[in-house]
Amino acid sequence: MSQGNKKKSWKQLLYRDRFLLMMIIPVVIYYLVFCYLPMTGIVMAFNQYQVGSGFAGVYTSKWVGFKWFKQFFGSIYLGRLVRNTFLLQFYSLIFGFPIPILFAIAVTQVRSKRARKAIQVSTYLPYFISTVVVCGMINNFLSPSGGIINQLLNKIGIESINFMNLPQWFRPIYVISGSWQSFGFNSIIFVAAIMGISPDLYEAMDVDGANRRQVIWHLVLPSIRPTIILLLIMSLGTMMSVGFEKVYLLYNTAVYETADVIQTYVYRQGIQSSNYSYATAVGLFNSVINFVIVFVANKISRKVTDTAIW
Amino acid sequence: MKKRVISLVMASMMMASAIVGCGSNAGSEPAAPADNANKTEAVDAAIESAETKVEESGFSYTGEGPISEDGGTIKILAQTSNYSNVDITKAPIVLKVFEEAGVDPDWQLLDYNSYEDAITPMLSAGNIDADIIKIPDNDPNQIWIKSGMFVALDEYFDYMPNFTKWLSENPVQKAELTAEDGHIYYVAGVNVAHDYQPVLMYNQVWLDKAGMQAPENLDDFVELLRYFKENDMNDNGDKNDEIPMSIMSDFLPYMFGPAFGLDLVSGFQADENGKVTYAAADSENYRKYLEFLNGLYKEGLLEVEFTSLDRDKVIERISNDLTGVAFDYSWAMSMMYSNVLPYYDGTEKTAFVGVAPLSGEHKGFYVGRNFLSGMFGVSSKSSQIELACKFLDYSMSEHCQDYYQWGIEGESYIVNADGKREYTEQGKDNDWLQQFGINPAFVFPAQQSVEATDILVADWHAKINADQRQYVVDPWPMIYATSDESDTINMYLEDIQTNVDENTTAFITGTKDIATEFDGYIAGLEALNLPELVNIRQQQYDRYLKALSN
Repeated sequence: MSQGNKKKSWKQLLYRDRFLLMMIIPVVIYYLVFCYLPMTGIVMAFNQYQVGSGFAGVYTSKWVGFKWFKQFFGSIYLGRLVRNTFLLQFYSLIFGFPIPILFAIAVTQVRSKRARKAIQVSTYLPYFISTVVVCGMINNFLSPSGGIINQLLNKIGIESINFMNLPQWFRPIYVISGSWQSFGFNSIIFVAAIMGISPDLYEAMDVDGANRRQVIWHLVLPSIRPTIILLLIMSLGTMMSVGFEKVYLLYNTAVYETADVIQTYVYRQGIQSSNYSYATAVGLFNSVINFVIVFVANKISRKVTDTAIW
Repeated sequence: MKKRVISLVMASMMMASAIVGCGSNAGSEPAAPADNANKTEAVDAAIESAETKVEESGFSYTGEGPISEDGGTIKILAQTSNYSNVDITKAPIVLKVFEEAGVDPDWQLLDYNSYEDAITPMLSAGNIDADIIKIPDNDPNQIWIKSGMFVALDEYFDYMPNFTKWLSENPVQKAELTAEDGHIYYVAGVNVAHDYQPVLMYNQVWLDKAGMQAPENLDDFVELLRYFKENDMNDNGDKNDEIPMSIMSDFLPYMFGPAFGLDLVSGFQADENGKVTYAAADSENYRKYLEFLNGLYKEGLLEVEFTSLDRDKVIERISNDLTGVAFDYSWAMSMMYSNVLPYYDGTEKTAFVGVAPLSGEHKGFYVGRNFLSGMFGVSSKSSQIELACKFLDYSMSEHCQDYYQWGIEGESYIVNADGKREYTEQGKDNDWLQQFGINPAFVFPAQQSVEATDILVADWHAKINADQRQYVVDPWPMIYATSDESDTINMYLEDIQTNVDENTTAFITGTKDIATEFDGYIAGLEALNLPELVNIRQQQYDRYLKALSN
């Protein structure tokens, strides 16, 4: 058979797989139109986009080289923006990544199917609450005058804390609320991976006399390791991509010190001040860091665990 | 109730021509003239040579409706009403304007509250299919002018008799509207700039209970706040529920800046010699301003949540008789605050009343507004530029301004036996009046009127407004930036503003220590190229003075 393939020209191969290829065309078009074509817009980071010049202006505006990058690297906000962006995601990863795994392991140990479903559904639900509503809830709960958290603090003799106006509280609030909102939903893929483990293996462990802890440690965790690594690398790829909406809705001038991230800075520069080229340069800088992180993470993973995306 | 009312400060009166100049130094000697002062010669020549065009059919537009013999459709990109329950496209006043103009509207209206965020990217992309566009701001950096997407209106003055007449009668506004290249691109709405401006207000009943007069200086003011805080002002038996003052953070600069000689509202300000400075970088006075506010914060007189206080909360407090001091646009005085007080009987004695500004080491003042706002341009991509110019011209005519300010005779107002206008019973109902389309500044270049507003508010309120006019000074004037200037401004201003905003809050709340960190803050502003910006503003101000003296 392979002998036969070698003799076929690429035209014959195309003809042979024509239906398969036709099926992939919409996907290719989608990526071309919505991913690769807009990607050429990064040229704006190297020119001075003439406002009002439309799509053509993206490519025809005056070339300024690395002017915007130099400006950003010279900005007093560079360090703070990178630090805040990185730390918000880093903490989210450190605290947010293990929770769905632990939760998935725990929930799959529940014997009653009905109880398991109830737990899973109730933990998915917060994920479907809009970010705006979640931020509204956070603001209300943490209000120094009448917020439930401060009322509880008052009851145990602690003075009200103005959570939303103190820079040191922004990161914990962001990370904890984010974890609460997404751990149930994020656990789905781990639950599926755990469910995919062959019952034979469980039985074998059982025969060997393994207790529950040993089953988890020696069977469940190794079995879902590729899934964990895959998701970890994908999460690392968004290490510098903080969810703009949530930061924007939660931050105020009092907490810029810890809350102002690259995405909000790009928004202020690009949308609010019409400095599109500068904002594009800052965004591109962010994407380059993301790319480097995911590339390095993939390399490390390949070396250490033999598991990698590419 | 929340967003209602901004438009109640209605239209008429081109007091613009009477009030000119900038702050305290309008009459001072102009500084050294800048080489690139915007010249109005080209506009003047266009006004001089404008003549009514007679079309082939013999029809000519003379400034009155109809504007076209064959009708037509005008595409307008503008804002929705700031009243969520008002459909401005169905408002009788708006329909009347189109009916008399003899054309139909094709609306593209964007939400009032997010207009700037929504239209800015649209304009930047340059692909807007509209004849007339309301720009998101006054285009101080000539971003939209330079983009080439708006026609130079002076090239179409033959079709704009009302606008040319208005420009001739208002030389200062003509100079302000003239761009760097000597052309005029926008027809502007006109604010009441010295009336119904943001003002300090007290609960008169609380003041009387305290046996005090409205404080005129900061020390007395702080004493009053302490009294309000420590006493059961609302007689409910609880001494702890009084919130001495409820000020939204945006109004703190309006309220306290002047007492320290600072116009923090405008940001940049000029002294009596025409020297321009940045108020938030004044190492002496701004420091004192922050120390004062920090003192209020520490003492609990400025509430912990001042950065998140909004108008709804203030109204709620006032309706529960919990607060004694407010600061807001004047219209709020009788139309939003006093009328929710539980004991308001329609008189000044039981109301929230506006008073003179607070003074400190410097004499207090209130910061007014620029006369021009709400700019409309004609798209250079329009296929019917002449018709669009004619409609824009007609919509800013005195005839239409009368509609915008008073509505339609017999419906929203009547002329009484003395020959004076007064609103009908329906017209006195603000909800109805808004539905009727009063002051449609969202879609037309409307001009506000003190006279019409005086009739709409309580008598005592109109009197207070008249008393307070003496305290209002002009803000930083509207001056177009040159190309080079706007590039620099765009590059630096956002970062500077961010820096000022966050440091101000940090100093007030004590997150940063004024004693040890204020000098670093000033140095930080310099590192953000503030001196270069001040230099640009100085050049602009010099140009402005020169244009005034011409």
